[in-house]
Amino acid sequence: MSAEDMGKLANRTRLIFAVSSVVFLAVLAISPFKDFRREWKQYKRAYLRFAQSRPDTKKLIADYRPDIDQIWLPGMNVVDRCTTCHQGITQASLGDQAVPQPFRAHPPIPHHVRDWGCTVCHRGQGPATEVAEAHESTLAWEQPILPTRFIQASCGTCHYANLPQTPQLTRGRELLAELNCQGCHRLPGIDRPAMLGPDLTNVGTKVSREWIYKWLKEPRTIVDKDGNVTVDGYETEEEPRMPKFRLSKVELRGLSAYLSVQKVKAPVPYRIDARVVAAWSKNPELISQGELRFRQMFCSTCHSLAVTRAGETKLIGGDIGPELTKVGSKVNSDWLMAWLRDPQGYLPHTRMPRYGWSDEDLYKVTQYITTKLTDSDLLTGVPQLGQPTEEEIQLGHRLFLEKGCASCHAIEGLNPQKDFGPDLSALGGKNASELEFGAAKIPRHLVAYVQAKLHDPTSVNPAARMPQYNWNQTDLDAVTTALLSMKGPPATSALQNLVVPRKEVSFHPTGSFGEVYERYKCSTCHKFNGYGGDLAPDLSYEGSRAQRQWLVDFLKNPQTLRPTLILRMPQFNMSDKDAATLADYITMVLQHPAANPTNVDAKEFTPAMATLGKELYEVKYQCQSCHTIGGTGGYVGPNLNNAGGWLTPGWIEAWLRNPQALVPDTIEPRRNFTEDEVRALAAYLMTLRLSIKPQKTASTIATHAAAQGAGR
Amino acid sequence: MKFHLWIGVLLLMTLAGTAGCRKRGEPAKADPLLAAYDTEADWTDAQRVIPLSYQQAQGKRIFYQQCVWCHADATPAGPSNRSNLTPIPPLLNDGAALNAESDQNLQNIVTLGGSAVGKSAMMPPYGRMLSAEEIRSVIAFARVIAQPPYQSPRRVGSQ
Repeated sequence: MSAEDMGKLANRTRLIFAVSSVVFLAVLAISPFKDFRREWKQYKRAYLRFAQSRPDTKKLIADYRPDIDQIWLPGMNVVDRCTTCHQGITQASLGDQAVPQPFRAHPPIPHHVRDWGCTVCHRGQGPATEVAEAHESTLAWEQPILPTRFIQASCGTCHYANLPQTPQLTRGRELLAELNCQGCHRLPGIDRPAMLGPDLTNVGTKVSREWIYKWLKEPRTIVDKDGNVTVDGYETEEEPRMPKFRLSKVELRGLSAYLSVQKVKAPVPYRIDARVVAAWSKNPELISQGELRFRQMFCSTCHSLAVTRAGETKLIGGDIGPELTKVGSKVNSDWLMAWLRDPQGYLPHTRMPRYGWSDEDLYKVTQYITTKLTDSDLLTGVPQLGQPTEEEIQLGHRLFLEKGCASCHAIEGLNPQKDFGPDLSALGGKNASELEFGAAKIPRHLVAYVQAKLHDPTSVNPAARMPQYNWNQTDLDAVTTALLSMKGPPATSALQNLVVPRKEVSFHPTGSFGEVYERYKCSTCHKFNGYGGDLAPDLSYEGSRAQRQWLVDFLKNPQTLRPTLILRMPQFNMSDKDAATLADYITMVLQHPAANPTNVDAKEFTPAMATLGKELYEVKYQCQSCHTIGGTGGYVGPNLNNAGGWLTPGWIEAWLRNPQALVPDTIEPRRNFTEDEVRALAAYLMTLRLSIKPQKTASTIATHAAAQGAGR
Repeated sequence: MKFHLWIGVLLLMTLAGTAGCRKRGEPAKADPLLAAYDTEADWTDAQRVIPLSYQQAQGKRIFYQQCVWCHADATPAGPSNRSNLTPIPPLLNDGAALNAESDQNLQNIVTLGGSAVGKSAMMPPYGRMLSAEEIRSVIAFARVIAQPPYQSPRRVGSQ
């Protein structure tokens, strides 16, 4: 190699060296540049610029921290760096909707962000410092942020007791209980009643095989292509408790065969007095009289009927019991008579009360039901099934267990499979990798999974045994929220200590009161010490509130005290003895510790006090804005026409001092009355009396009330 | 020639390096209704749905428990009590009547009752029943449903 060649090579090497040095320098310079351009640092600088535009710049800058900000709460597993970018989260002056995210202050909530962190409620990845990683699920992270419309799920993670602030969560929990989800799934904190679906031990005595076939194929409900739900041909917003199972014709034949032979105990046919039948059977008024009696007995408090008004057909009535528009074509008439006389004889856990029927009423009402509440087309489309064969019965028996029917419906001698559906007690904490998405084209995260499964169980698993429910979006979201709240037992003892447990309530009176209480099923509508329905007033402290004689009169002849309320309490045709048993127990036992009726003696009230009380009532405090006396006053509180004959003076005084101490959710605000004013108002109210003696013909009042009720 | 290729590869690597610095796309802007804690249909236009924050949603809940009876035309029990009262109380969304009142004025009326501020004694005081925060939330709810809409006065800095 010549010297010239050597020089050329050296030059070339130098050039390569020079170029690669420049390139490496450039690459090295990128690193600090990249660091400078990091997402969270950009937000830091953006915040500084934003702070300059605010009137309180000085304070915002003083609170500014240039580094990664982290909320670390070891006991709660919280390592949250969200405040690195969400820098204004606790700045009161940045609460305005106009403040751009991520700088806006958190809206006021009961939990302060510095004490709780962010991911406890919002989920997502606390330690992440990039927008996508923190909020969404990327490969390395599995918990996406919880959409705000399901945020109440996080409240439910610790608050097992229902909160007034989280109506959606409460509704979701109610729906889970109402739709009997706990029949198949383990759902902590969801009430499991003594009877989920009706006991089918004797169902063969009640309905025909054809009707069972029809019901299983299409449980009353039809959803059209627009998503409108109709029940027996009538539009409704109520979700029937019996969902639709996907059953083949063979399965329908088998199940209907098996159920139609469930006849352990035939109903004892009841013979109505021949004189009553003779007197009424030819009477053209029979059916209309039956209908009137049906209304007067307030059957519609619990049952709905399709009613056509102004060309529009709607279901009207309560949803505690089944809808009855076509019940006459459903049930066997011997069964109907036996049921009405003693519902608890057929279903021990039914919520239907036992009425004291006269033969005349029973005849009229059953005739009305079996002739008017019918539909000759009800069983159209059901094939002629004939006598069930032994094979069909065997198949039905097997299906009854395999399809999970036995999880909700008891049949004597049949043992349901334990834990039929998956345990859902920790569903809300599951990562996407733990879920089976099948072929479903949905985003791979928990919320999408839960919604898809609820909407159509076969979408994520074609072999799903779970039946089909018809949800509207609000209910679907509510149930999703309730399910997402179930994250299993708290992971740390610090979290365990945060749990607000649910209060278990029960009320099981014994003795003669217990017997009458069970017969009239008082707890279907009324609450006793937290247990029971919420259709009617809470009676936990009724003994402190009402005078005994008033209770007796009311039980024998219920009336409404609130001008806008429709009377819904049925008249049970209660005997004097039953009314006395109930009134005695209520007066003696259902007392509030703060309102002892014997503390106040009405004899101490003077006419002068009553006069002062009247003036306070009418002028100073203007109680007439909510209460009615005579013909005038407001509709909000109960009418006080008979306050002196109804309320105990001890209750009135305790109530005036602090209504919420007696009934926590009452809407009457607590006032600042002086003791003298309390006495004067009580004295005045005790002078208000109506001399209504229980009327001999209770039906005249009931007719009037029913006429009012019909205007609903 | 080989050598130009070399330099080209190095330059490409540099570019690839800087590409990583590109800012990631912002997450799609969420629908305000889906991000809302609760919603309320506009009282004057049922088609328009108003998203509510946590505080406004609490105000809505308290309103429908306590206030709806006299400050709305329809109540959960049916007829409204408004027509029984003289003077007739304003509807909660009545911007013409309420927008002019400051938050503090409204807070006083609800807390102390009408008679304490020279208005009708038919408005009872709620200060011994509801907390100041609860009353604030009802006012926040009134503001968000107001028709004509409520304009908050210019915010003054905390300093």
